[in-house]
Amino acid sequence: MKRLFLALFSLFPSVACAVDFERDIRPLLAKHCVECHGENKQSSELRLDAKGFALKGGYDGPVIVASKADNSPLYQRISSENKDLRMPPEGDGLTSEQISLVKAWIDAGAIWPEGDADIAAANDKRRQHWSVQPVADKAVLATALGTTPEQLSIDAFIAAKLNEQGLAMSPEVDRRTLIRRLSFDLHGLPPAPERVEDFVIASDPKAYVKLVDELLASPHYGERWARHWLDIAHYADTHGFERDQLRPNAWRYRDYVIESLNADKPYDQFLREQIAGDVFAPVDAKAVTATGFLAAGPWDFVGQVETKSDMLKRAARAGDLDDMVTQVITSTMGITINCARCHDHKLDPITQEEYYSLWSVFAGVKRGDREVNAAESRRIATEKALLTKTLAQKRAEIAKLAGEGFELAKLLPEQSGIDVRNGAITKDKLAYHRDIQVNRLQKVEDVPGVKWVFVPDGNGKVTVDFKTEVKGVPATSGHFWDTIANRPLNAQKHSKLGDTDFSTKGHTMLAMHANGGITFDLAKLREQSGLQAMRLTGLLGCGATDGAAATRADFTVFVDTELKFQKLELRKDEAAVLDVEVPATAKTLTLIATDGGDGIGSDLLFIGDPKLSAEAGDKRITEPDAAILKQLRTEAKKLEADLKALPEPEKVYAIVSEEKPPVIRVQRRGNPEDEAQEVTPAAFSWAKHGSSAFGDNSMPEAQRRLALANWITHPDNPLTARVIVNRLWHHHFGQGLVTTPSDFGLGGDKPSHPELLDFLARELIRSGWSLKKMHKLIVMSAAYRQASTTANGKASALDAQNRLLWRQNPRRLDAESLHDAVLAVSGKLNTQRGGPGFKDFNYTEAYAPIYDYMTPDTPELWRRSIYRFVVRTTPHRFMTTLDCPDPANLTPARMQTTTALQALTLSNNDFMLRQARYLATRIENEAADTPARIRRAFELCFQHPPTASELQAAQTLVTEQGLFALCRMLMNANEFVYLD
Amino acid sequence: MHSSFPCHRQKRSVTRRDFLWELGGGLGGVALAAMLNEAHAATNPLAPKAGHHPAKAKAVIQIFCPGGLSHIDTWDYKPELANRQGKPFDPDGKLQFFASKPGACQQSYWPFRQHGQCGRWMSELFPKLAQRVDDIAFIHSMQSKSALHGPAMFMANSGFILPGFPSMGAWVTYGLGSVSEDLPAFVVLPDPRGLPPGGVINWGAGFLPAIHQGTTLNTDPEQPPIADLFPQKDFAHLRGVAEQSSRDFLQTLNRAHAAERTANTELEARIAAYELAARLQLSAPSATDLRGETDATKKLYALDHEDIGPFGRQCLLARRLVERGVRFVQIFCGAENTGAKKIRPNWDSHEDIVRDHGYWGPVLDTGAAALLADLKSRGLLDSTLVICTSEFGRQPGAQGKGRDHNPGAFTAWMAGGGIQGGTAYGSTDDLGFKAAENPAYCYDLHATALHLLGLDHEKLSFYNNGIARRLTDVHGHVIKEIIA
Repeated sequence: MKRLFLALFSLFPSVACAVDFERDIRPLLAKHCVECHGENKQSSELRLDAKGFALKGGYDGPVIVASKADNSPLYQRISSENKDLRMPPEGDGLTSEQISLVKAWIDAGAIWPEGDADIAAANDKRRQHWSVQPVADKAVLATALGTTPEQLSIDAFIAAKLNEQGLAMSPEVDRRTLIRRLSFDLHGLPPAPERVEDFVIASDPKAYVKLVDELLASPHYGERWARHWLDIAHYADTHGFERDQLRPNAWRYRDYVIESLNADKPYDQFLREQIAGDVFAPVDAKAVTATGFLAAGPWDFVGQVETKSDMLKRAARAGDLDDMVTQVITSTMGITINCARCHDHKLDPITQEEYYSLWSVFAGVKRGDREVNAAESRRIATEKALLTKTLAQKRAEIAKLAGEGFELAKLLPEQSGIDVRNGAITKDKLAYHRDIQVNRLQKVEDVPGVKWVFVPDGNGKVTVDFKTEVKGVPATSGHFWDTIANRPLNAQKHSKLGDTDFSTKGHTMLAMHANGGITFDLAKLREQSGLQAMRLTGLLGCGATDGAAATRADFTVFVDTELKFQKLELRKDEAAVLDVEVPATAKTLTLIATDGGDGIGSDLLFIGDPKLSAEAGDKRITEPDAAILKQLRTEAKKLEADLKALPEPEKVYAIVSEEKPPVIRVQRRGNPEDEAQEVTPAAFSWAKHGSSAFGDNSMPEAQRRLALANWITHPDNPLTARVIVNRLWHHHFGQGLVTTPSDFGLGGDKPSHPELLDFLARELIRSGWSLKKMHKLIVMSAAYRQASTTANGKASALDAQNRLLWRQNPRRLDAESLHDAVLAVSGKLNTQRGGPGFKDFNYTEAYAPIYDYMTPDTPELWRRSIYRFVVRTTPHRFMTTLDCPDPANLTPARMQTTTALQALTLSNNDFMLRQARYLATRIENEAADTPARIRRAFELCFQHPPTASELQAAQTLVTEQGLFALCRMLMNANEFVYLD
Repeated sequence: MHSSFPCHRQKRSVTRRDFLWELGGGLGGVALAAMLNEAHAATNPLAPKAGHHPAKAKAVIQIFCPGGLSHIDTWDYKPELANRQGKPFDPDGKLQFFASKPGACQQSYWPFRQHGQCGRWMSELFPKLAQRVDDIAFIHSMQSKSALHGPAMFMANSGFILPGFPSMGAWVTYGLGSVSEDLPAFVVLPDPRGLPPGGVINWGAGFLPAIHQGTTLNTDPEQPPIADLFPQKDFAHLRGVAEQSSRDFLQTLNRAHAAERTANTELEARIAAYELAARLQLSAPSATDLRGETDATKKLYALDHEDIGPFGRQCLLARRLVERGVRFVQIFCGAENTGAKKIRPNWDSHEDIVRDHGYWGPVLDTGAAALLADLKSRGLLDSTLVICTSEFGRQPGAQGKGRDHNPGAFTAWMAGGGIQGGTAYGSTDDLGFKAAENPAYCYDLHATALHLLGLDHEKLSFYNNGIARRLTDVHGHVIKEIIA
């Protein structure tokens, strides 16, 4: 060993006198490596400018193995003969002397004395950023302002900054403008003219504070402010992506947000419930509903469920988790974490590992419908099972006594169907399904008398009893449409054959769209009916439109494994009589609908009055039996009614969790197929307010979310309170103190008034996280009440962006406020609160459902826009044109454009024109003559009577074109769509 | 600069920018004019902007074939696949495609032949495009990051597999503004059968201002070309003189209102928007009125053909729009949301390639070839970049009579607008399963298109939620090999 060492020295005499890192190596690295592997650029995620980074290595792991230069990628790469591998890539590379120096340095132990540069680099400036520092307390803020904590106020902070520039606030605005501004701010609606007049003439010095209290107490407040929260939750009522299916239960979360805001639920509790309400309050339906927050964003059905490729599923799941953690962290703490998906965040103090640690918090969480009240749902299910069973018994007794045969369709639960993919009972109407495993018999547990269902395909081996293959089932596409049900199916146009409509009273039907098969258990049917040898009778037909006449379908019946009936290529306009003998010894009866070989479209087969009756024919009914029968029928009827009266269990589209979540690993460059080290549930290590490591990977799912919820809402978390008060400020002033409300990081804006921001954050916590108290504090300030129209040359020159708030900001109504204002003014606004969203579109089931919008011209479509059923892939054109954002995005601040298309939409859209007509009718009824009507119209739209010249212009227009033209143009006016 | 007569009615002949200037003069004072100039820049994001370098192309027409066009049966000649016809594609049984396990190797259903001066191979599915091959540059090594229609569509159009990002057309209008005074800068012509997979998100503005989103032009000749261009139904009579007096009343109100609020420059922009809307009512119908086209042109685009005609009409409209200064036209050749069932409503041919590509082939072939020929004969091809792409390709291993999704390889092509025709970039492996030489993504295609338009894809960015976003994310390089 010693000899070798000496030999080395003698070979390279110039290196002999021990390599000095500072003298020999650091300058070499700085000159040749750091350009690509330094602070500004980290090729292969490698930095060689500071000790910590250099020794840690890069994308492929460590590059310096102490004492082993030959094993060190750093040495290998600088000494490589291969031009593609050799570093540095440009030029001729290092000199052999330089290479020898590096080798000697590594072989000597790669000693890197920590210098100032190393310490500076390790001392992450991202951790010094203002927003992650504790919120200043009031004493500190007061000192900064040269006053006492008691004297602190919004206006004191604003005035102080303005003073520094020799500026002052604008004067208070007039009352008409003020009430319009406040109403739109708090309600998203214009004030009624009567309320305006009351306020304008009120001599009460407390008139304004009373108005504020009144507006905050109204349920319209929650309806307005829920919109802002749903924007940052990117809420919608469909999944998005290619197969944009409905989320019929999502609205309960929307209502939760509205109700929570109206109840002034403490903001910290509001957040905790949305992240982990089901954990700490599992019996509280509202807290469970709150977790709809986590599921509010888009979800790709094709990637998550439909594809057979596991790799694609992993990719879709990765997108899903990214969306979930990004939403939670961005909305609550204003940190843009998704940059850390591929590498350590370049701007903010978040490592890639921390990012994936957040995944691990949600690793056991998936989106889906869940019952909001588990106990109640169980009670309903038990009762339903009992009633169904009793009813089946009664019906069997009736059938026995009356000998009238057994209605096959009545076996199936009312208004439900059997899903042929899995045998489950569902009320939902299904649609196009491909990629199903065909010929798999799926047990039906919940319908006594039905053994199983399946998707038949004669290309493969069809059995009706798991054992013997049956012959004669046609080849099919293997796709299917809707359930097997005793009601018309999805897209079924009719249930008529000849003159008989089999969906009407006194008839029954069994609908079986291709491709579907159902096997009945004859032993059970005999038990229920008392029949032995039987005949199956009915009328077979198709419920498609005439236009589909060209397509064909097949129908086949097996008794045990014997083919007893087959109708091939049935046309849509024909019917076939079904009459099949079912011997007393037979065990199963199987009905099969197939697609006729031309795809499943329009193959809406059904059997009218399918019935099993006694082979033996009539049977006389004795008088005592008749009395019993009557009694039984009364009982059966009651049971049917009871069943019908049972409520559906309430569901919300929220989260479904698994107790033991999978272990999450860091994904190199965000690639799910390239995993690195394991992570554990945790948040950001810069936090000083509580431990950011939540536990190891044995931690149950629920506890992970609870830990994160508590960590986020900890009163000493420097971001949570600052972020929400800034959001409130943003909506009251048109821009936040921080103009990037969801980015408090280094890439975001700096606060215009950092002390004011901290003051508001402190006030929020002091008030018990009451948002209503914060609203009041803000709107009572002189800063809020000042005029927006003041011309102030000096102020414009110094502060064109009005960051210092020398005036209020004029604002344009957003799409929702404009829509609601039109309805309010026309008198058509339907103020019904809560419940499922209104659908102003025609919906057609398809592989990718079709949403076809219509003119909303009925009262149920005149509700506030917060209750609109929001479709992701087919946004509402009227709303989108008016800058309503895509719910794929987290939207902290609405973008605003001014376009010709907006002008066209507001002047020509059918909804606008009809509303203008309603407004014309309204003012005609509410005022006696033209001047009074014009006055009324102006007061409704602008909250002030017309000026003399406006009146004159309006009179000319009304004389020429009528009241309608006036109303239409008032709702297009700048004054209508802008707030002063 | 202009007359200082206050608040007069706007003359028909002045441009939108002149109008703002005039209005500025009307309100009086140099300061105001300066302010309005600033306001104009601030409130008219569509003002024409200089690019980063001189442009070769002024406009783009992108033909998008949703569903996954099979490169193997069309542009990408794979003789080795014929040699292995019927042999197992994946002998180890390890692969799992989107919807199936791969079947046997399946050669192209259409024979390939060499065409043009360049001698590039194309299949017989596209006989008319084959005659234009010397204008076309192929990128044979395209790949996608998703094998699912929705995400792959989003990626092809916006560079990201998630919804919510601006589409290429939106980026282009954001970067360059509009040179058309009275038509939108970014127009989309969806397939008359319905929207493509992923819907209108495909031409959305994402987080860019909504003004940059694509405006869909109704391709049904019976409907007004732009939604709400004119009142409909009960209100269809609202045209002409009645409209003029209503509009005058509105603008009188608006001007009086704005005069008291000089600090709010948006008010002027909104007044101007109503004037532009009035001009759009004249310009949009004239852009879509095909009566003035010659019979030869109508025949070229096969307008009377039941299946091909609608797409021919889309292509012809695209040419007319580009002639009128529209910057970016996107044509969809195929839909998703549709009730049609006999033929797949787009190129997604899982069940039967011969039936479905056999249907769509002549549609694309006729329309796209007509467009190239027509642009060329009018001298527009040099300044118009034509792009034809899909969201992914299809598999060389069979799925019954069809083919499954293949994100590992597909072909896109470009023509005109500074492209060197008759060239190709990149290649796939012997079977067309994966990109082999010079693998490319939409990033590279986008970077190249932006480059030809005078934009540097690394400089064209917009701040959103913590990051300066680009169309090309952190990727992309300009494919110099196919640039003239």
